[in-house]
Amino acid sequence: MPLTFVQVEEEKNRRIWIFFLVLLLVYFAALMGLMAAWAQIFWIDDAALFRPRSIFLLVLASLITASVHFCFSTLDSVRFLKKNLSAAPPDLRDGIHRRLANILQEIQVVTGNKRRIEGAVIPTLAMNALAAVDLRGNATIAITEGLLSKLTRPQLEAVVAHEACHILSGDCLETTVAASLFGLPAAVIEKLSSTWAPQARLSPAFFLTWGLLKLSHLFHLFISREREYRADAGAVRMTRNPLALVEALQLLSRNWRGTGSIGNGLEMLCIVNTAAALTDESDGWWADLISTHPPIRKRIEVLSKMAHVGLSERIAQTGPNTGAGTARPAQPVFYALDPRQQWQGPYVLTELSALPWISPLTWISDGGQAVERAWKTPMIDQAVFTKRLTQEEKKPSDFICPSCRQPLLITSYDRTQVFQCHFCGGLLVENAKIPRIIARAESLSTERVQSLSKAVMRKNQTRRMERHLESLDRKTIPLRNCPKCKNPMTRTFYTLAYLIEIDRCSFCGLTWFDPDELEMLQCMIVNKMAADPLERRTA
Amino acid sequence: MAGWILLGLIAIAFLWIIVVYNGLVSLRNQVQNAWKQIDVQLKRRHDLIPNLVATVKGAMEFEQDTLEKVISARAKAVSAAGPHDKAVSENMLTEALGKLFAVMENYPQLKSNENTMQLQEELTSTENRIGFARQFYNDMVASYHIRQEIFPNNFVASLFKGFKKEEYYTADEADRAVPKADLSIRKK
Repeated sequence: MPLTFVQVEEEKNRRIWIFFLVLLLVYFAALMGLMAAWAQIFWIDDAALFRPRSIFLLVLASLITASVHFCFSTLDSVRFLKKNLSAAPPDLRDGIHRRLANILQEIQVVTGNKRRIEGAVIPTLAMNALAAVDLRGNATIAITEGLLSKLTRPQLEAVVAHEACHILSGDCLETTVAASLFGLPAAVIEKLSSTWAPQARLSPAFFLTWGLLKLSHLFHLFISREREYRADAGAVRMTRNPLALVEALQLLSRNWRGTGSIGNGLEMLCIVNTAAALTDESDGWWADLISTHPPIRKRIEVLSKMAHVGLSERIAQTGPNTGAGTARPAQPVFYALDPRQQWQGPYVLTELSALPWISPLTWISDGGQAVERAWKTPMIDQAVFTKRLTQEEKKPSDFICPSCRQPLLITSYDRTQVFQCHFCGGLLVENAKIPRIIARAESLSTERVQSLSKAVMRKNQTRRMERHLESLDRKTIPLRNCPKCKNPMTRTFYTLAYLIEIDRCSFCGLTWFDPDELEMLQCMIVNKMAADPLERRTA
Repeated sequence: MAGWILLGLIAIAFLWIIVVYNGLVSLRNQVQNAWKQIDVQLKRRHDLIPNLVATVKGAMEFEQDTLEKVISARAKAVSAAGPHDKAVSENMLTEALGKLFAVMENYPQLKSNENTMQLQEELTSTENRIGFARQFYNDMVASYHIRQEIFPNNFVASLFKGFKKEEYYTADEADRAVPKADLSIRKK
C-alpha cells in the first residue's frame, strides 16, 4: 500500500462528481416541487411542466444553481470551517501547543514532505479531532483544547497520524466537500441562532438548520465507514504504535465529544462522531449505509489485534515496572487505577500498601477482566487498610465508614468526641452534639472552606428549587447505610436555611458528614450565610 | 506492411524503456533525498544538545559523568566521517541521551522548569523525526528495489549501470535485543 496514494486521485474525483450529482438532484427536485406548487396555486395545466422544453429549462436552472453553490461552498471551505469552529493555529509559546506543532512536523517527515498540513486548535473542552482539505489544496488538522491537554505524546502522535492519513489518502477531500455543502451552513446557522433568545426554538432558523442537516445526512449514504479503519491502519503504519491509538480511542469514547460545540453537520470530519449515536455502535447493512463512523469497540479490537495483546497484557505494558512480577511468581500481584486514571502495576501487597494514593475506593484488578474496589478484595483489605489503622494512635470504634467500609476512629472535634474515617475524612456525629460543635466554632474558617460553602450553597439552592418544583413526593434512593444499625440513611439538608447535604439515620440519631461538610456548616452558620427563603424565589 | 508492424513494435519497446528508465531515475533521486533528510534531522539534534546541557548543568551537579558522556558522544557524532562511523556514533549519542533523560526524572526542579521541558520536548520530537526519516528512507528503498526487480522492469534495470541496490537502514544489534527492566533505581 503506497503511502502517497497518488493513484487514488481519480477515484476521489469520481466520488466528488457523485456529490455534485446529488446536489443537482436536490436542486432539481426542489425546483420541480416549487413549479408544481406554483401550477397548483395559479391553476396552470400540470402537463406543461412535463414538456421536454420546461424540463430542459429546469435542468439548466438547477445546474447553474448547483454549480454556484458547489463553487461557493467548496473552494475555500477550510477557512470557513476554521472560522466556524474559531480554530486558531497552535500558539508556539505554549508548551502543549508546541508539542502539536512538532508532531505535525514529524508527520511531514514520515510522509517525505509530500504535503503541507497546517495545525489548528479548537478552543473547547470537548474531546475530538478533525481533518479537512478543500479544492484549493489547503489541508488542516484541528484538535480540541480538551483532547490536546488530556493526551500523552504517543497518543497525540497516533491521533494526528490518523487525521494525516485521511488527508493523504484523499478521502478527506470528499468528506470535506460533503460536509461543506449543507453541514457547514447548518453549523453556521446553529451557531448564530444559539445567541438568540431561548424562546426562538421554533423559529425559521431552527427549521432551516434541521432541513440542511437532513440534506447533509443524504451524503452519509456515500461515505463509507471503511475509511476510518483505513486511517487507523495508516496511523499504525506511520507511528508503529497501535496501543497509543487504542488508548486515545478509549479516552474519546468516555468523554464529551463536542455535541453542541462542534456543529452537527461536521460530524463526518471528526475522528469519532460528536454525538454518541446508536447506529454508529451497531453493525449490519443499515448501520453501514447511514453511519459514517464504525463502532469504536470494533476499531479498538482491530487495533489490539495489530498489537497482538489482550486487556491484561495491556495493563501490564502500561505499568511502570513491567517484569517485576516475573521475579516473584509466588505472590499475587494487583494493578491499581491511580488518581490520573492510569493503570499502574503490577504490585505485590507490600508495594500496594506503600502507594501514597491508595484508598479503599481505588479500583483494583488482578490482571484479568474483573475490576473491583480495593475494600472488596479481602486480601488487600487485611494487608493494607487494617494494617494502616492499627498503626494509628487513635482507637477504632465499632462503626464502619459507609463509603470506605473501614472502622471509624474516635477523634475529638472542637473538644467533643466524634468518629472520623481515616481514609476519606468523613465524620459521624450524634445529633445531640451538632449544636454544640457549631456553637464552638472557635477558629475562623479557612478561605478554602469559605469559598466552598458559598459555592455549595448556591448550587444547593437551585437544586432545592428544582426538587420543589418537579415533584414533592419523589422518592429518594438512600445512598449510605447507618454505621450503627445498618438501615439506610436519608439524605436531607441540615436545615432549609443552611443548605448542607447530610445523611441522617432516623433510628439512631446519628448524622454522617462527608469531608469538609461539617466545617462548611460551621462556616455558614457563623458567618450567617443563610439561604434565601424558597417562597420569595418561587413567587 | 510487416515492416511497418516491426517498426511500430520497436517504437513501442523503445518508449517503454524510456518510461521505465525515467521512473527508476526518479525513484533513485527520491531515495537519495530521503537519505539526506536523515542528515537534516541529525544536524538538528546536534544543534539542540549544547542548549539542553547548558540548561540542566546547574541543577545536575552530581551527574557530571552523564553530562560529559552526552557531550563527548555529540562531539564524536559531529566529527564522524563514513556512514558506518556515523551510525555507530549516532547510536552512542542516542544511548547517552536516553540515560540523561532517565536521570533527569530524579530532579523535580528540572521537570517544573518550562525551559527544560521545552528543550526536552524538542529533543523528543527530533528523535521521532530521525526515526520517521529512517522509516521513510527504508520505505523508499523498498519501492526502489521492487521497481528494479519486477518483471519485465528487471531487463531495463540490468541494461544500465546506474541502478544499484541501496542499503537499508538497519537497527543496531544492541537495539534489537529486548531491553531488560532495571529496577535498582526505582527501589531506592
